[in-house]
This record gives sequence, C-alpha cells and structure tokens, in this order.
Amino acid sequence: MADRVIFVCIIVLTAVYFYATAQIPSLEIGDPLGPKAFPRLLGIGMLFTAGLLFVEMWRAGKNGTQESAPREAADWGHLKVIGAVVVWTAVYLLVFELLGYVLSTIVYLIGLMAYFNRGKWVANVLTSVLFCIISYIMFVKVLGVNLAKGASPFSLICTGLDAFYDMVARGVKAVVAAIGMF
Amino acid sequence: MDTLTHILNGFSVCLQPINLWYTFVGVFLGTIIGVLPGIGPSAGIALLIPVTYGMNPTSALIMMAGIYYGTKYGGSTTAILIRTPGEAASVMTSIDGYEMARKGRAGAALAVSAIGSFIAGTLGVVALTLFALPLASMALKFGPAEYFTLMLFAMTCVSSLTGKSPAKGMLSTIIGLMIATIGIDLQSGQPRYTMGIPEFQDGVGFVVVVVGLFAVAEVLRGMEDMFKGTAAPMIRISGRLWLTRDEWVRSIGPIWRGGIIGFIIGVLPGAGGTIASILSYMTEKRLSKHPDEFGNGAIEGVAGPESANNSDTAGALVPLLTLGVPGGGATAVMLGAFIMYGIQPGPLLFQNRPDLVWGLVDSMYIGNVMLLILNLPLIGIFVRLLYIPSGILYPLIVAISVIGAYAINGSILDLYLILFFGVVGYVFGKVDIPVAPLVLSLVLGGIMEQSFRQAMTISGGHPKIFFGSAITMTLVIMSAISIILPFALPRFKQWARGSA
Repeated sequence: MADRVIFVCIIVLTAVYFYATAQIPSLEIGDPLGPKAFPRLLGIGMLFTAGLLFVEMWRAGKNGTQESAPREAADWGHLKVIGAVVVWTAVYLLVFELLGYVLSTIVYLIGLMAYFNRGKWVANVLTSVLFCIISYIMFVKVLGVNLAKGASPFSLICTGLDAFYDMVARGVKAVVAAIGMF
Repeated sequence: MDTLTHILNGFSVCLQPINLWYTFVGVFLGTIIGVLPGIGPSAGIALLIPVTYGMNPTSALIMMAGIYYGTKYGGSTTAILIRTPGEAASVMTSIDGYEMARKGRAGAALAVSAIGSFIAGTLGVVALTLFALPLASMALKFGPAEYFTLMLFAMTCVSSLTGKSPAKGMLSTIIGLMIATIGIDLQSGQPRYTMGIPEFQDGVGFVVVVVGLFAVAEVLRGMEDMFKGTAAPMIRISGRLWLTRDEWVRSIGPIWRGGIIGFIIGVLPGAGGTIASILSYMTEKRLSKHPDEFGNGAIEGVAGPESANNSDTAGALVPLLTLGVPGGGATAVMLGAFIMYGIQPGPLLFQNRPDLVWGLVDSMYIGNVMLLILNLPLIGIFVRLLYIPSGILYPLIVAISVIGAYAINGSILDLYLILFFGVVGYVFGKVDIPVAPLVLSLVLGGIMEQSFRQAMTISGGHPKIFFGSAITMTLVIMSAISIILPFALPRFKQWARGSA
C-alpha cells in the first residue's frame, strides 16, 4: 500500500519537476548545455527509479509479502501525538521572532515537557528556564551567534540578560585585575 | 621522505594547545552524542558548523572529526546498558552486549568495546596514513569526467546499499540532487526552482536538511516510542571495568579482524559502519567454535562489531580527503563543512595544505587515546546522561536544533525548513526510505552538476567523454553493476537452484 503511494508521489514529483525545468529561461550562450540539461537528466533518473520501484512492488506482490492491515490501524493513536507535536512546533516557530528566542523557547519546552514528562512541574519549569537562559548567554554572548531577541516589549528579556551578563563580565574582569595587582 | 616530514609536521599542528583542546572538545561531544539517543554524528557535526564560523578551519575540522569517531565509542554504551544503539552502527553490539550486561558482565562488555574501539580505531588511522597519499596522487589525474563518474558510482552504491530497497535508496538520492538544483545556477545566473522565495536563491542549506532529517525526525520517532512505551530496562554497570584473561584471549582475534573489515568497508562508498559491524559479527559467528553462544552474550559479538565500526570511520575519511568524494551521510556533512570554510578536499589539498590534512589525521591518534580514557575510567559520568528523562531530553534537542539552524543566517525560513525536513524524515522512516543517500547527494549535487557540464563542454556536448578513458569506463560499469546486482542476485539464486 505504502509503496503504491510512493509510486504515485514519484510520478507527480517528476511531472512538477519537468514542468518547473521548462519554466527556467535560458539563453544558451557559451555553455552548450545550459541550466536545464542536468535537471532533465535527474527527471529521467526519477522515471527510472519509478520503474525500479514498480519491479520491486511486482516482485513483492508475487511473493505474497503484503503488509498486514491491523498494524496500520494501530498507528493512529501515536500519529495524533506526533501531529500535535508538529503543530506545537510550528506555532513556536511562528512566534519565534516576535517573542524572541528566550521567551518562546521557554513556553515551547514547558508545553512539550508537560505532556512527555508529566507531573514533574518543578523539574520541567526549572530545566526549561535555565536551559534557555544559559544557552542564550552561551551562544549569543560567548560564541557570538545570532539569536532572535524579539519585538518590543518582549525584547526586554534579552536586553536584561545582555546587561546582566555584561555586569557579571565586568565584575569578573575587575576581580581578575584586582588579583593581578597583588 | 617529504611525506614523512609532512606526517611529522602534522603532529606539531595537532599538538598545539588550541588544537589539543578542540580534539578534546570534539571527542567529548562525540561521546555525549553517541550516548544520547535522538542525535547522531551527522546532526551533531551540522549543528556545530555555525558555531565554528570564526574559527581556524584546521581546529574546526579536527573538532568535527572528533565528533565523528567519538560517537562510535559512545554508541556502544547505550547498546550494552539499555539495548538501544545510541548510534546506528552499534546495532550489533546491542545483541550480545546487552546479554552480557544481564549476566553481570556489563563492565567487561564496556571495557572490550572501548579497548577494541581504541585498537581498531588506531589501526584504521595508521591505514589512513599509509593509503591516503598513493590514492591522492592517483586522483591528481582525474578530470571532470572522471569526477562525475566517481560521484555517480558513490551515489549508486549508497542507493543500493543503504536501506532495504534499492529503488527507495535511489529515490532518496535523486530527491537530494533535485534539492541541490534549487537556487541560482552559477554558470548561467538563472534562478531555478526558487518558487519566488528570495532566500531560495542561495539554495537550500544542507545544515537545515541534515538537522531536520537526523535530529528533528529522530526526536519525533523517539516521542512516538515513548508514547508506545517500548524500552528495555536499563542495567547498571556491574563487574570490574576490565577483562579476565580468558576474555582477552577470546577478544583479541575479533578486534583485529573487525578492524581490518571495518577499514575496507569504510573506504568503499555506501556501506558504512552498520554494514561493517554486521559483517564482522557474521565473520566471528562463522569462525567461532561455539556459534550457539552468539546472541546469548558472546564477548566476540561485542569485540568484533565495535572494532569494525571504529576503523570504519578512519576508512571513510580516505575517499573524503583524497578524492573529495564522501561515501556516506556523516562524511558528506564533513565535506559540506570543508566547502563552507572554502577548502576543497581532494588530491590538491595534500599538496597545498599538508599542515591541515596531516594535522587532522594525526589528531585522530591523539583523539583515540583521549577516547580510551573517557570511555573506560570515566564512562560512569557519561552513563549518568542516560538518567535524563527522555521527556526532557527530546524537547531540548529540538531547541538546540533551532539554535543551530537559526544561527546560520538568522532566517526564520530555515526554522520552518528543519520542521519540514523533520516531518519528511519521520515519514521516510515509516516507509523505509533511507535518508543518508539524500544528504550525500545534496552535498555533492552542485559539484556533480559542475563536473558534468565541464566534461560536456570539453567534449563539445557529446556524452562519449564519460566512456572515454579506462577510469571512467570502469566507474560507469561499476555503477551499473551496483544498481543491477541487488535485482539480479535473487534471480540468479533462483536460477541456480532451479538448475541444480
């Protein structure tokens, strides 16, 4: 069953790819092949793959190794959970730049852990908050990586963390300097 | 003589304090990644790429290689203690390793995998040191046609060897190549398949694809397993972390044989660590005087496969470094990293940057010593990682993936892409489509098209150039065989049986 769906998907994908290839404007100067030749080759390769898959399906059908139907039915319960995780992640990414890395990730993590690590609220909240703050400071301040700070009132969290880190860093520097003096 | 100087100079590079430090960070992270489920070497290396932007490429590559071979050490720990391979190549270890642990010999199982990994890993690096240069000098004669057919061979091997169905492997390969064609065509300046999205003009970054397919998809699968509640009980380390005399005698043969099998399989494209360890397991079972013990805690069944999957990593670096053509998923990610630093691995690299090549290779000798220490006396620390509840671990892996993907360009589109490829990877897993071929062809796609067009330009637009030299001819024939063989083989067996 699954293989039949894959077979149809390959055909559709190949058709779309061929169509999109035809849309590429090309001037054919200098380069004898142009930007379309290699993609066309890939399209042909894909059709060849469809042929191979067909042979495999035909062989499997002849040997009578069909997938059992009951397994498919039992799959639905966890598919719902996985679907919910995907939707929750999509929501998280949608608000990622608005709320900023720290706030959105804390909410996202607590939400996931509330389901998958049920009942342990203190550990979950503590891990989420600490992870986000530490990872923010480590990546943004120490490693110089860019992370979303969020739009205006929410960006205050990151600004606050920045200021806090700078203060601590200045303090440490002062202490080191003081030790160096003696 | 010149070569020897270069090899020794490599030590002076990798013994610099900064590079020693990055070797340590690499193997340390590698062990952690190996122990933790849900994140493997490919995703681990990919996630590190944005962090290493400002770094000296030699140090960055030393660290990435450390992750690559370090995961093989860590992967055995979970295989032995919770019967879950932390890394695909440890799957054979989980059979006899877990049985040994149940019989109270967890200490011995962990010890033999660490020692076997060390001996075979070092053996692999020695072989890499010896074979790299001859191969690289041969590859100097390669033109675009040779490169195109070589990549074709690598891809057809990966297609037909990873996963159960060659057709699905090939599907994965071609999807990767198709993704690689997205973006502005460098020769004509035409945008292709960008769907009107400006970010796609630069193409789809391989880091987001790898993170999606390997980290996010793995998290989705892990969450599904949690929901189903299928997990073997964890066994605490019991027994001294060392071997008895008898166990030594039984292990030393499998370690050597595993090391040799692993290296050879590693050099060949497509097969990789998992197949190396399966081959080693079957060899030991066949050679054994008591094959019935296999599956019930035979130490040979741990020693052989663990050694094989470690020397495999050294073997896999041979084609990557000497030809610039990787033969698997993790080495493809490393090639991507090389290219991002503006370094093209291949024969010329041995001439132009011997310090980098040999610094990297020599760092693996040191890394293996570090790993032996981390994985024998200090293994108890890493085992604690297994006490992190999966319900906390998996969400954190998603957050780390988001950081890594966003760090590349600061683009929100990259985040949607990791989710998209996460779902794709999850679905592919359900229908048995392997994802390693996709990553390999995505990374190689650009170079492959370029060499294809260069070759065609040289020949004035005639494909005869791909059959023009002995090398291309051989590679084309071998590619064809690698596709046909899986189909012909069952046929052939039937025919042989019928006529007998």
